Amino acid sequence: MKPKEQIKNILATDCGSTTTKAILIQYDPEAGRYRLIVRGEAPTTVEAPFEDVTIGVLNSVKEVEELTHREILQQDKIIKESSENRGVDIYISTSSAGGGLQMMVAGVVMNMTAESAERAALGAGSIVMDAIATNDKRMPHERIERIRNLRPDMILLSGGIDGGTIKHVTELAEIIAAADPKPRFGSTYKLPVIYAGNKDAREPVKERLEGKTDLFIVDNLRPVLERENLQPARDKIHDLFMEHVMAQAPGYKKLMSWADVDIMPTPGAVGLLIETVAKQEDIEVVGVDIGGATTDVFSVFKDRTEEEEKPVFNRTVSANLGMSYSISNVMAEAGLDNILRWVPFTMEEKDLRNRIRNKMIRPTTIPQSLQELKVEQAIAREALRLAFVQHKQMAVGLKGIQQERTIADAFEQVSTGETLVNLMNLNMLIGSGGVLSHAPRRAQAALMMIDAFLPQGITMLAVDSIFMMPHLGVLSKVHPQAATEVFDNDCLIRLGHCIAPVEKKRRKGGEHCFTLKIENRDELKIAWGELKLIPLGEGEKVKATIIPERHYDVGDGYGKSITITLEGGVVGLVVDARGRNPFSLPSKLEERINKLEQWNKALNIYPEKE
Amino acid sequence: MKFLTLFGILFLIIQGGSLYSEIVVEDVPNDAGEALMITWDLPDDVGNISMYRIYRLDPGAEDYILVGKVENPNVNVFVDHDPRYPLHAGTEFVYKIVPVDFSQNEVESLGTSLAVSPVAQLFNFNKVNSLIATLFVFAALIFFLNYAKTGKGLFIRKIAGLDALDEAVGRATEMGKPVLYVPGLSTMSDVATIASINILGPVAKKVAEYETKILVPNRDPIVYTIVHEVVKESYLEAGRPDAFDTDQVFFVSQQQFAFVAAVNGLMMREKPATNLFLGMFWAESLLMAETGNITGAIQIAGTDSVTQLPFFITACDYTLIGEELYAASAYLSRDPILVGSVKAQDLEKAIILFLMIACSIISLIAVLAFNTYAFNQVISAIFSF
Repeated sequence: MKPKEQIKNILATDCGSTTTKAILIQYDPEAGRYRLIVRGEAPTTVEAPFEDVTIGVLNSVKEVEELTHREILQQDKIIKESSENRGVDIYISTSSAGGGLQMMVAGVVMNMTAESAERAALGAGSIVMDAIATNDKRMPHERIERIRNLRPDMILLSGGIDGGTIKHVTELAEIIAAADPKPRFGSTYKLPVIYAGNKDAREPVKERLEGKTDLFIVDNLRPVLERENLQPARDKIHDLFMEHVMAQAPGYKKLMSWADVDIMPTPGAVGLLIETVAKQEDIEVVGVDIGGATTDVFSVFKDRTEEEEKPVFNRTVSANLGMSYSISNVMAEAGLDNILRWVPFTMEEKDLRNRIRNKMIRPTTIPQSLQELKVEQAIAREALRLAFVQHKQMAVGLKGIQQERTIADAFEQVSTGETLVNLMNLNMLIGSGGVLSHAPRRAQAALMMIDAFLPQGITMLAVDSIFMMPHLGVLSKVHPQAATEVFDNDCLIRLGHCIAPVEKKRRKGGEHCFTLKIENRDELKIAWGELKLIPLGEGEKVKATIIPERHYDVGDGYGKSITITLEGGVVGLVVDARGRNPFSLPSKLEERINKLEQWNKALNIYPEKE
Repeated sequence: MKFLTLFGILFLIIQGGSLYSEIVVEDVPNDAGEALMITWDLPDDVGNISMYRIYRLDPGAEDYILVGKVENPNVNVFVDHDPRYPLHAGTEFVYKIVPVDFSQNEVESLGTSLAVSPVAQLFNFNKVNSLIATLFVFAALIFFLNYAKTGKGLFIRKIAGLDALDEAVGRATEMGKPVLYVPGLSTMSDVATIASINILGPVAKKVAEYETKILVPNRDPIVYTIVHEVVKESYLEAGRPDAFDTDQVFFVSQQQFAFVAAVNGLMMREKPATNLFLGMFWAESLLMAETGNITGAIQIAGTDSVTQLPFFITACDYTLIGEELYAASAYLSRDPILVGSVKAQDLEKAIILFLMIACSIISLIAVLAFNTYAFNQVISAIFSF
């Protein structure tokens, strides 16, 4: 690989389940920064009849070639020597084809080491199929059956602190050994098992698993209950993903030989990018990628329980929430009423059910009428909401740790394991995935995210323009500057700041909520229940003072005013005073429809006439 | 007019009053016929009188007995209700009042009363407020029990200490160390001990499910016997009777500080991952909680002993304060009957609290602005139960 300074042309691909996306990034000497030049895509070719992922990669790169008139391929190989109009300096790739990386985790106690193992696996970009623990209320034979039925790509076994329990960990190893699991791909190799538990239990675990599985031992992911050490386990997962899972998938050996750095699982790359951005800008971020089968939520929040506030990255994957293959599951989990509450016209439940089922059996179709679009966006709101609920449950502090108390804690004893997600501290909310990135109007994406995540205080809303976060994630490993520049300028479309006050308790509609004083503009008085769009263009920044009434908080406490710089975007400045404690829609059908229409109109979401 | 006079006479007869006498004896209402009230006309000159002696002639007796005295010569009322000289409903008694001069000599009697018998009333109207309160308690209890049974779920505020029981046992499991449970130092007659044993059941069950170990030292032999059975039963409920080790529950000493020394020694040697101090504690609370803190255990304490609470709050991770300890079994089991009763009690306490605050404010206003007597009567009537 060339030194970083000499990298001027970057080719990146993401091999998804259905499409392979290629992008070309080049250094623009005039602008003095890296830019996205073009994007090409082609169907993924992991499955029969092709069974070679590189065919799809080559097809997508060919599209890039055609669009840029740059010669990148020669005899179906990527040219790695770049000149004026030929070749690239570096080729990188991510992959989620074939279902991505599917893992099982095991730990002694479900909400302690098993949860840590789950976080390690999710952070490495895998889908966690199941977690096994001593207290999972299953009989040993049920656990064995589960492992056999799921056939994961690998298992992460943890449990016990260093010097802690050996008995429980050994029992878990015995269960895995008894299940004698077989990997999903490739019949010739043994299933990789990573042991990241009590160091004193390594020998008994070795005795039970070494012959039957491909056992790897890494540092304990919970050496003491007060601290997590997830990186060694994550690194090993990544290595094994390359060596075992990728190497077994059709065509991946060839693809790996092309790539200049290790191929990353797609969600792992997106997570890495979000983590990098949060770190660089010292902000708290939530990112969501809503796909057809799964919805990934990434977050970086500061852990304020520690003296030194350190950012904590979390990723969850809601494997059953998506907009095509899993759309029926969204209906089952959210319930029809919850979906219908977002539909701004009268609709029979039966009609909604039929539309959802149609979408499931024809996953590649897109809405053909405005009405269909409204229904799809109503479902998306619920899928996003549910995915975020799951994320909040997983993004928590460590449980079972010793606490220091003073007499002041007499009536407010905070538990351990509280969620780290504090929307009031959230600086940026990034949406990605077809329904958000390809919404006909950006304001639709903004309102979908506001309705689903209910941001509080001041939050910047953004969407990934063409879903290139995975590419940039893996690029950030080799060229962080290029990744950041492209992310900021070409990938991220800033929709604008959202101002959402939080009330102490539910208020009366029409009550004065806060005053917004924007420099050189008329003072605005906002009433509770109102949704308003204030024009503020992309890149425009204004100094503003927000003066909330005593029952409202916009970030600094109830009734406390703040002066900040607000930034606009392609949508503008969104003022959402519809309430957060709780946010609710009118229960009467007519009132609800009127309200939705009123809000849609306020943000100019849909055209007046179909 | 005649009708009214006759009615008045009849009323006096029913009330047990005597007619046409200077000494009037009346039944004291709202009792079980155990008291009579005697009133008399004051003599014209009370200057020579130091007190009055009240004599009573019991049925069948030949002599009057002294049942009491009134030491203020200007007071002409006496209530005969001395358990040493009991009265019996339906039995007639005669009273005479004898003034006493300053030389302690009895002067001429003021006369004798008619024979009057005390009457037992079926209903004590002074206790109407208690009746209302009782009916309200029952109504609230029935309402909440039925509501809880509908499965709608009643809100009980989050008690961090009880929520932490799960992670406390989990911590012990991960660390491969035992859970130490001290059910207080009191006897079974103490409510806190009973509440503690109610919590011990689910804790021991969880310990059995997690296949870890629990240690329960005891100070009282009776408590020890009960605790032993509770833990054994919990292991059985968890489907792990084989895992129960009878030595896990043990008697230490009835001496307060010998017990503390033993428990502290246990903490230093065994280094339990979790210490639970739930029940009644005295001076030993801080000694045990500090030792536990030093060993690095997470500690959950709970007591209704107000004086020990500050020590527990500062030295332990979680503390159940007073009533939280009693509510624990309802909180942990979510049994509709228990939750319903907790809810009903909460409502009653809230109402009493409200009445106390409201009456204090009314009294204050009364003192500052009005004649206090009427208000004080109302308030004392409310709280007389």
